[in-house]
Amino acid sequence: MRSCLNDKFSRTPSRGIADLLIRGSARFGLLFILLVLWIVFSSLSPGFLSRFNLGSMFRSVAVDVVVGCAQMVVLATGGMNLSVGAIGVCAVMSVGYFLQVLNLPLPIAILATLGVGGLLGWLNGVAIAKTGVNSFVVTLASASLFSGGMLILTKGVPLNALPPALGSFGRMSFGPVPALALVTIAIGVVLHIAFFHTTLGRQILAAGANARAAEMSGIRVNRIVVVAHSLSGMLAAAAALMLTARLGAAMPSVAGDDWVLPSFLAPVIGGTALSGGEVSVVGAILGALLVATIRSGLLILQIGDFWLQLFLGVFLLAAIMFERYRATLMLRQQVRRL
Amino acid sequence: MNKMFEFAIRRQWSGILAVIIAGAIGLSIVTPAFLTSFNWFVMLRSVCVSILVAFSQMVMLGVGQMNLSVGALGGLAAIIVGGLMDAWGWPALPAIAFALMVGGVAGFINGWLTVRTGINGFIVTLATASAFAGINLGITKAVPFYNLPSNFLAFGNGKIGFFPILLVVPVIVTFFLAVFFSRSVEGRYLLAVGGNSTSAELSGISVSRAIVISHVISGLLAAAAGVLAVAQLGSAQPTIGADWLVISFAAPIIGGASLSGGSISIVGTVIAVLLVGLIQNAMVLLAVDPYWVTFLLGALILVAVWINRYRAVHLDVD
Repeated sequence: MRSCLNDKFSRTPSRGIADLLIRGSARFGLLFILLVLWIVFSSLSPGFLSRFNLGSMFRSVAVDVVVGCAQMVVLATGGMNLSVGAIGVCAVMSVGYFLQVLNLPLPIAILATLGVGGLLGWLNGVAIAKTGVNSFVVTLASASLFSGGMLILTKGVPLNALPPALGSFGRMSFGPVPALALVTIAIGVVLHIAFFHTTLGRQILAAGANARAAEMSGIRVNRIVVVAHSLSGMLAAAAALMLTARLGAAMPSVAGDDWVLPSFLAPVIGGTALSGGEVSVVGAILGALLVATIRSGLLILQIGDFWLQLFLGVFLLAAIMFERYRATLMLRQQVRRL
Repeated sequence: MNKMFEFAIRRQWSGILAVIIAGAIGLSIVTPAFLTSFNWFVMLRSVCVSILVAFSQMVMLGVGQMNLSVGALGGLAAIIVGGLMDAWGWPALPAIAFALMVGGVAGFINGWLTVRTGINGFIVTLATASAFAGINLGITKAVPFYNLPSNFLAFGNGKIGFFPILLVVPVIVTFFLAVFFSRSVEGRYLLAVGGNSTSAELSGISVSRAIVISHVISGLLAAAAGVLAVAQLGSAQPTIGADWLVISFAAPIIGGASLSGGSISIVGTVIAVLLVGLIQNAMVLLAVDPYWVTFLLGALILVAVWINRYRAVHLDVD
């Protein structure tokens, strides 16, 4: 089998690429689309590869990936978390409160904010596990509760007098790589290891793939749901912290509803199944990169701010359909070979 | 008496109705402004749009799917009806018909994509929502249409007693939906597919057809909601529909629909919308922070879902 594949590659290089595309993983197809888009955009407009553009793109991708991961952790269990943005709002205002009003030192404020995110996620998880109600409904409701409650408490007033260390970290970069992107990569590595090399990660995936079977194999599915939602809350808080660092101020309007779309796009484009049991951290990173590339490319080509959303929607459908098509082709080839 | 109690406990919406009546009595005691005919007119007018929005999602829940593009689609229909009348000088009726048609076509696209590509309807409508909102922004450049014909505005502002004329639309729609879901073959098919799509397919019902039909109805209803919103506001704002997502799910779910499909309640949905309208009205009258509406809506959904769950487990009714 293996040698026959190698033969094919050596004989016809063009077939080889097509073959690789079809047989390679979903991530490979994504990488290919990304490369093509990068070549197209950079040849159409040299400004695309400028340091400024890449820097701002990577900064926003860094946040989007973490938002996507917050969703992905719950998607892994076969659920959804519509309150990712609401938890983000709460985290943004919490860190502002801890730093500006309570004058806590930065590391403690960050830990406390992650704690707030985790707690809100835990509440989601407990509500879902205790009542057995669909996670969509529970998090739809809790999103209203969280963001409404936070706005009632803070009146939606931004907090601007944060310590400068936070803002300067958000602007810092090593060469073309912003510091925020390094944080994202660190989170991604930890998540990847957690999902693919720890018992807990495998249990989350097992519970998502088939809850009944997992329960029968001795996994406490309810506990897994609570853990996944807590983790999701913490990741949403982490994304909110990164956003606060990027903006240098705690503004309640930056998260919220705006996060729902990106939170689903990155993981779903990256091959995470909505039905649960299948995740890809690398895919989520590539998915967020794809969205950011399309957005930034269209902006640089001056398609206009207003049509952007239309193109985004169409491109995303096309990307998902392409991936479906690739997967079907692969399946067909495998069947033929048998 | 016992029978009445049993009837009340078996109806999912009876509790909400009790809350509405208690709330209305309480409000009329606390603030005299509540019982004025102007207040009723304003409250009922704002309820009209929400009822159609809720129906638009309810139809999808009936077939066991979701439509995240309800708001984007309504917004698109709103600026189309406004644009045709303002920029192109169309009379009201053809403009409304065209906007409804766009809604139906957009719904068909949603349904067709869901059925043909096999991609989860949630993702499809999430993506098309972005596309529809993009068309909306691309056409308007975020500038509203103001110059609407006087007969259209009169339709939005007119009243008979303290009933707004706009209320005619949701009443007619409610009637037709009730007949559709309880008496028509297609309507029963939709619910059958929502209840168990495999057994529906095996009984000879086309699941794909049912999904496409419900998406078309959902699109039509969302477009109708958009047109009503323009009539109510007196201008076609590009932001119409942006905040419909939560109410679209909240009302059917509070009214007793199940997310897994096959079970919906038209009366329950209407009553749930009335409850939310009453809460919004109370917040305005009592000059409470508007953020409380968001908060209470979330709490209401949770309580409603919990009560439904409790009933299902302890009273053995479904």
